[in-house]
Amino acid sequence: MTLATAASTLVCCIGNDLVADDGVACRVFERLQALELPGSPRVEQVGVGGLDLLELLTGAEGSLVVVDAVQFGAPPGTVHCLDWQDLPAARGMAVSAHAIGLRETVEVGKVVCPDKLPSRIVLVGIEGRRFDELGGAMTPETAAAVDTAARRVRDLLFTFEQEAEVDE
Amino acid sequence: MTRTIRIDPVTRIEGHAKVFLELDEDGEIASAGLVVNELRGFERILVGMAAEQMPLVTARICGVCPTAHHLAATDALEHAAGVTPPPAAKLLRELMYMGHLIHSHTLSLFVLQGPDLIMGLDADPAVRNIVGVVQANPDAAKKALRCRSLGQKINELVGGRGTHPVTSVAGGITFELDDSRHKMLSGWADETLALLSELVPLAKGLLLQQIELHPALMADWIVPAWSLGTVKDGRISMLDGPLRAVDEAGNTRLEFPAEAYDGHLEESVIEWSYMKQVHIKDGDRHHEYRVGPMARINVGGTYGTPLADAELATLRELGGQPCHAVVLQTYSRLIELLYAAERAQEILRDPALGGPTRVPVQFTGGRGVGHVEAPRGTLIHDYEIDDQGLVRSANLIVATQQNYASINRVIAQAAASHVLGKADDAALLNAVEFGIRCFDPCLSCATHALGEMPMEIAITRDTQVVRRITRAD
Repeated sequence: MTLATAASTLVCCIGNDLVADDGVACRVFERLQALELPGSPRVEQVGVGGLDLLELLTGAEGSLVVVDAVQFGAPPGTVHCLDWQDLPAARGMAVSAHAIGLRETVEVGKVVCPDKLPSRIVLVGIEGRRFDELGGAMTPETAAAVDTAARRVRDLLFTFEQEAEVDE
Repeated sequence: MTRTIRIDPVTRIEGHAKVFLELDEDGEIASAGLVVNELRGFERILVGMAAEQMPLVTARICGVCPTAHHLAATDALEHAAGVTPPPAAKLLRELMYMGHLIHSHTLSLFVLQGPDLIMGLDADPAVRNIVGVVQANPDAAKKALRCRSLGQKINELVGGRGTHPVTSVAGGITFELDDSRHKMLSGWADETLALLSELVPLAKGLLLQQIELHPALMADWIVPAWSLGTVKDGRISMLDGPLRAVDEAGNTRLEFPAEAYDGHLEESVIEWSYMKQVHIKDGDRHHEYRVGPMARINVGGTYGTPLADAELATLRELGGQPCHAVVLQTYSRLIELLYAAERAQEILRDPALGGPTRVPVQFTGGRGVGHVEAPRGTLIHDYEIDDQGLVRSANLIVATQQNYASINRVIAQAAASHVLGKADDAALLNAVEFGIRCFDPCLSCATHALGEMPMEIAITRDTQVVRRITRAD
């Protein structure tokens, strides 16, 4: 193993499993436990994203994969895979402190803790539809995408490993 | 004819925080409101669960205020079982809670008020956001984020786990504090107070500057209402003591233990929203009221710690007592930050912290009501528990519900001064967003990766939507 491959990957699944489709990343987290993942990443689950993500970084991570429910306007169950730079910027100001977008979080991190930011940050986003029902069930299409999303994470990790080997 | 639109269940999940303004025949604001999400589904899923699960399950309602739910649930269970936790357990809970308060208030101030204060209320929304704040003042941003981390560290060390605390149980706390952890906690509390001694004057200066630049903040943004908060022995209290309600003029009108809440607080369904609103019932009259830091200050005496009380005196000079200036809620949050850090230090110096932390508990059936002053205001948990120790019914009253009538009134006031006779959409959005932000409401926290839901304002007339306004337009 070289230093390049030793740089670890953090997979962070964000969601509230009590709130319908917001729980989809929690299901992906469970699926990931059952899969054999390349490069032995650290897999974590958190309730809300935003600035808390920065707290999870140790500075040793080469890559960060964020798994979360999204609303990009695609059909429910669509799995998106995007670099953080390609995420749409928040348009207006927040009216609630509950969440800051991944893009904004990374931009904040670049100023306050540049040394801790991994060089690669990717979002695996699962399109959901039902987000306002505490105790509500997941949309069937979203629930059906859990396996796909978990496999996308595994494939991403595999790519990271291969790239690291090429760099050797 | 005046009618308010119903929100179609199919369209409510488009990823917008929805505000509606209903105009009457003369084009005046007839009603206005923020459409928010429901909590009732959650109360249903608690039914049939074991009572001792409540502190763990309810902490997962919200990733932002888990500790408030964790402790309200514990308090409710102890009332149901008729036990009193040992003094050391009470102190550890309070310490955990001070960490939570530091974490939560720092986030509110930094994310919600920071952009208005540092960039200025008139700044372009493209830069008047958290990224703009951090780039404009990296040093203060680093300190604010460190402060927030320290609050979270205190909360986690005492709460036993990351996001969702686990150590508070009916009967006490599951561990006793050892010397090494005590030392770590003391270091964190000291560091927090040192950071705040720089950050609070900075934030206060910026706030006063905005007030000077915008006289309307102290002239027009005044929303008189009753206030509800917890007091104990004449002091503002977070976890212990009866609830007190004062009227618009500051006269104490009611004081009652939390378990009597349903005799004084009345929930009602609104046609256009999924959130029930709550009024204080006084005889046959119903009064709109507020909860949260400013309401606590309006009902209570003092915090009882020197730095917080010194700032409290300044706030009262500035805004009066009771204070109804929406913008000064920011100041009240700064005061509570100081209080939380000072109180954490006090607790850590208290010899009683070292005593036993747990008494045995048995559920033989009955009702338990618990409450805490959550960062955003009074939070009540009410459970009916059967003789098997299972929850038979549950009712939760959260802060945003109680502030809801005031939030909607602020929206109507903001809209009345910006909509009528004008067509400046940006000014309207600014005014409405600013008003809502001052309350720091709990909205849906879904779709984290995309950040906060953008806001949409729908202006309706005679049930027809005549205009929709969003930032994207």
